[in-house]
Amino acid sequence: MVELAFPLAPWLVWAIPMFGALLIPLYAKFGDKARDYIAVIFPLLSAISAAMMLPLALNGQIFHQQIPWITSLNIKAGVLADPLGVLMANIVAWISFLIMVYSIGYMHGDTNLTRYWFFMNLFIGSMQLIVLSDNFLQLFFGWEGVGLCSYALIGFWNKDKEKDYVGTVGHTAWGFAQAYSPSHAGMKAFITTRVGDVAFLIGILTLFFYSGTFGYTELAAEHQWAVELARSGLLIPVAVLIFGGAIGKSAQFPLHEWLPDAMAGPTSVSALIHAATMVKAGVFLVARIGPLFYVAVQSAQLVAPFFQTVAWIGAITAFLAASQALVAREVKKVLAYSTVSQIGYMMLGLGVAGLSSEFVGGFVAGFFHLTSHAIFKAALFMGAGVLIHATETKYMDEMGGLKGGMKKTYFAMLVATGSLAGVPFLSGFWSKDAILASVLDVGGIMAYGLFGLATITAIMTAFYSFRMIGMIFFGKKSHHLQEMEHHGHDVREAPTVMWLPIAILAAATLTIGVTGPFFEGFLETAFAKNLKELYGMQIVEHGFALNPIAISASVLALVIGGFFGYNYYIARRSDPFRMVQSNAFLGGMHKFLENRWYIDALYYKIFVNAPITASNVLFKGLELGVLDKTNVVVSKGAIALSAISNWFDSNVVDGIANGMATVSTFVSGRVRKIQTGVANQYVFAFALGIVFLVILMLILL
Amino acid sequence: MAVILGQSLFIPIVLAPIAYLIGRRAGTKAGWFAFAVLAYSTATLLFAAMQGSDYVETYPWQPIGEFGLKLDGLSLPFAAIIYILSTTLAVYSIPYMKRKIEEDFHNHAAENEQAINSKTGLYYSLYMLYAAGMLGTVLATNLIQFYIFFELMLIPSFFLIAEFGYGDRYRISMMYFLWTHVGAVVLLGAILAIGFLTGSFDFAKIATSTLPEGIRTWIAIAVSLGLFVKLAAAGLHVWLPYAHAEAPTPISALLSPAMIGIGGYAFIRILLFLVPSAYPTIAFWVSIWGLITMAYGGMMAFAQDDIKRVFAYSSISQMGYIIFGMASAYYIGVGGSVFQYVSHGTGKALLFMAAGAIIMQTGGLRSISKLGGLAGKLPITATCAMIGFLVIIGVPPTNGFQSEWMLFFGSFAGALQSGAQDRLIITGLALATTPLTAGYALWTMRRVFFGKLPPNLANVKDPSAAITIPLLFLAALSIILGIYPDLIVERLIPLLSGVIK
Repeated sequence: MVELAFPLAPWLVWAIPMFGALLIPLYAKFGDKARDYIAVIFPLLSAISAAMMLPLALNGQIFHQQIPWITSLNIKAGVLADPLGVLMANIVAWISFLIMVYSIGYMHGDTNLTRYWFFMNLFIGSMQLIVLSDNFLQLFFGWEGVGLCSYALIGFWNKDKEKDYVGTVGHTAWGFAQAYSPSHAGMKAFITTRVGDVAFLIGILTLFFYSGTFGYTELAAEHQWAVELARSGLLIPVAVLIFGGAIGKSAQFPLHEWLPDAMAGPTSVSALIHAATMVKAGVFLVARIGPLFYVAVQSAQLVAPFFQTVAWIGAITAFLAASQALVAREVKKVLAYSTVSQIGYMMLGLGVAGLSSEFVGGFVAGFFHLTSHAIFKAALFMGAGVLIHATETKYMDEMGGLKGGMKKTYFAMLVATGSLAGVPFLSGFWSKDAILASVLDVGGIMAYGLFGLATITAIMTAFYSFRMIGMIFFGKKSHHLQEMEHHGHDVREAPTVMWLPIAILAAATLTIGVTGPFFEGFLETAFAKNLKELYGMQIVEHGFALNPIAISASVLALVIGGFFGYNYYIARRSDPFRMVQSNAFLGGMHKFLENRWYIDALYYKIFVNAPITASNVLFKGLELGVLDKTNVVVSKGAIALSAISNWFDSNVVDGIANGMATVSTFVSGRVRKIQTGVANQYVFAFALGIVFLVILMLILL
Repeated sequence: MAVILGQSLFIPIVLAPIAYLIGRRAGTKAGWFAFAVLAYSTATLLFAAMQGSDYVETYPWQPIGEFGLKLDGLSLPFAAIIYILSTTLAVYSIPYMKRKIEEDFHNHAAENEQAINSKTGLYYSLYMLYAAGMLGTVLATNLIQFYIFFELMLIPSFFLIAEFGYGDRYRISMMYFLWTHVGAVVLLGAILAIGFLTGSFDFAKIATSTLPEGIRTWIAIAVSLGLFVKLAAAGLHVWLPYAHAEAPTPISALLSPAMIGIGGYAFIRILLFLVPSAYPTIAFWVSIWGLITMAYGGMMAFAQDDIKRVFAYSSISQMGYIIFGMASAYYIGVGGSVFQYVSHGTGKALLFMAAGAIIMQTGGLRSISKLGGLAGKLPITATCAMIGFLVIIGVPPTNGFQSEWMLFFGSFAGALQSGAQDRLIITGLALATTPLTAGYALWTMRRVFFGKLPPNLANVKDPSAAITIPLLFLAALSIILGIYPDLIVERLIPLLSGVIK
């Protein structure tokens, strides 16, 4: 075991926010200020603990510690701090901390903040539990904890006022309202991810049956389980089922529909869900299980179908979500679709890792993109929160022309959006390029298909990024803003407590952008050691190299997408709104995309309306119509059957019959009299009879 | 031999008349008396459990055999949860039943003080008998003894519904009595058959003898059918929604999780420990029945508007889980089933108690369509209800997760071990129905606690400490057992692994 300067650190990283959450209601008694600051201190302490583990990652070392848990089944709890876990823990911890600081400003003045801080802390703690657990069962605690917190926080404004709805009230698709109340959205998130979780659970339970353990290190050390799983044809199903959990949590196709509506929560919550926790949990899970399955089999060919599934799901989701971002009106929805799409890229990277001969390339690319996305997406969401506060609207078309009035926000969001679009020398450029390059490394027709999808997605990404910046910051101020200013509400820049976290993240985006190749090299070194030590993989490090095809594709995508975006929304050479209205094809496309390819409506039709209708029909038809009538049969049958059992029944049933006689006298009018004692005494006499019977039995002993 | 378990079982029975007398004199003080007695009995029970892995007290009981009280890995979780719930709910009953009984007198409380007091006394004396009756069934070491207590828990609960219930309570209590009694009679037939064929009613003797080949399947079927009425398996469940919805709420909270699940205990005790030879023949069909019950109960819960009926149907669905687990033919699955009894005990008691708190505080509202937005008004109740829902959905860190994963794992393991494809498929189907539970649970949560607050509920508050402390206690217990499941399974799993592999 490796020495760690502070061996409790991997435990404290998740325990501090988790148990800290429980203290928040107590601190609330000392006043709101005390509560708010203490709520931010827990994530800070957690982040410091995470930072203390960094030397491990820098040296590529692994720290593993276990304690007994469910002894009768020989299940242990423990922490595993390998470079993957440590780096992830640091990303989660520091970004969460910044979001918490931002929350002080953003949520200021809201009631029920005790509940907010409680769940935010629990959220961070659960996420860190996922990251640092050394086994699937313990991970699942964090996994569901994250689900629960997202439910509570998406539905935070649970009074369901119309202003808190996500989507436009009145907008329907196939008759299904496309505007969701916060409590509805929270429930939708919880149940949709739950579907994935069931799959995940089946997967790990089957794994447990064949291996007798939930622990990663145990699974990595001995591969008999994989042999037996492969023999019974369950290897790929099990891997895909576990991936099902990731599909749910990371909002990948086909379980992606919860995430756009999760925007009903406060923006700081969206930032946390999208940047640091929840949706990244799925990516992290794939990064955990990928190598496990890759090394467990004799030849990588055996698990190729699993990695192909991951890669294709990722690519399809990236495409699907990006297409919907093209037409979104709400700024947070653009960001939400873009998250789904970018997570798709990460999955693509992790998927192609297992298809290539050198696992580490795609693995590093996926994780690199996770890092850069976490940073720029947190900045974007917090910026969006600032905008929504300042302009009092969630719609981009009700903003416009904000460049002058909100310079700081404008600049920070410009950097972050540039990174999203893949502008060279920003973090997202390098990481997206790494993914494209690793797709090409696989070779073959399939790789070109994936590459094509990823490139088209990159074009769309550039377009909607420019569109977002253009609609918000360029052009003339909207009527809404003019009216606001008319009433004396000037658009104002955010206070420091909100602005500073955004600036730090924008600066981080720039820093990683400048040092991109070095950062990638560092990740590669760390993970190469990680994979070698934990899984016994033979890794050949390549160092940083640019793939000319990948790099020209991503620059070309930026130019094409950027050109159209710039043309319509920044230079405003023509009005895209009028184009869509006048052209039937474009209009249809617009509606199709706006209604999310009708997938959401389809799900409501099949999985919500149909079961509820079926339940009501069954209830009226079978339950009340048929089964309820058996009562008569039973009462008649009971009289006939009572002859079978002799001594006890003759007492009881007679007693009941008498009781019924008494009862019917009561019912016939003399309600008053029941209460005044006759029945009481009768029943009591009966109860006393039982007592005597029992005492008699005791004496007989 | 010290009489320890004897105390925990018989003290509430012997002192039941005293509760009546105290009630007549001093009204609700009888509730505190019942609480003190049950708390003492719970303490003795847990003390007995700490004496070692198997704790037995036996007394000769001629000519039937031996009268024994036994705490082993299987009976301990049942016994502990029965008494813990009974004790907790005794406290909860104090304000709740005070209100309920006064309401039954149509607010003429002042003129009827004497009658109210004697009714209060009656409630607590029946309550103590009921609790002891349930405990007696799971401690019994003799089939006749088991059957006596099986009936003993039925009778007080019948009167509790008839005298203290809501709605059409006389008819409903009769329905409840007749249905469960019919089940009990079928069970009695099987018990007598076992007794005559093996020559003894004592568990220890039955376990070592074998039943003739032809008849054992029939015995297993009779035992299952008899118990399935109590477990409210789909088709035999019609009485349950009425009884559990119209019983006074503290009794609903005992009936629903604690009492009906005893059917699961008896199934495991009789068919796995006493006459195991017939179990493999019927296990597959039982698990299909369990699957149907899970799905049917869950679907029915969607169609309800009365909050207590939602929980009643949810109990049917949860009994489906228990039936499914106990038919898994694998020790972890059966263990999960027992654990599920415990989880459902804490979870469903929480939910019924929360429903009771709502009924109390809103002046008797039970219809979900008339509720809404209560989270802000009843924060403690809402929190505890949420934890209760998480338990029945099976979300960590609650005990519901631990029991459900063991249950379904056991079913998978049993199927994979035997290589039976059909069993694998029904396990998959069973898991596929679990989002149904999440669906009705969260939907109910949303309709009751979130959204717009009806204007007439603007002044609703959380109830008094006698209601909220029991709620918080059970919520904490659910989470403690979820994080540290060894409290339940440490003795259970090794015991079961010796019986069924």
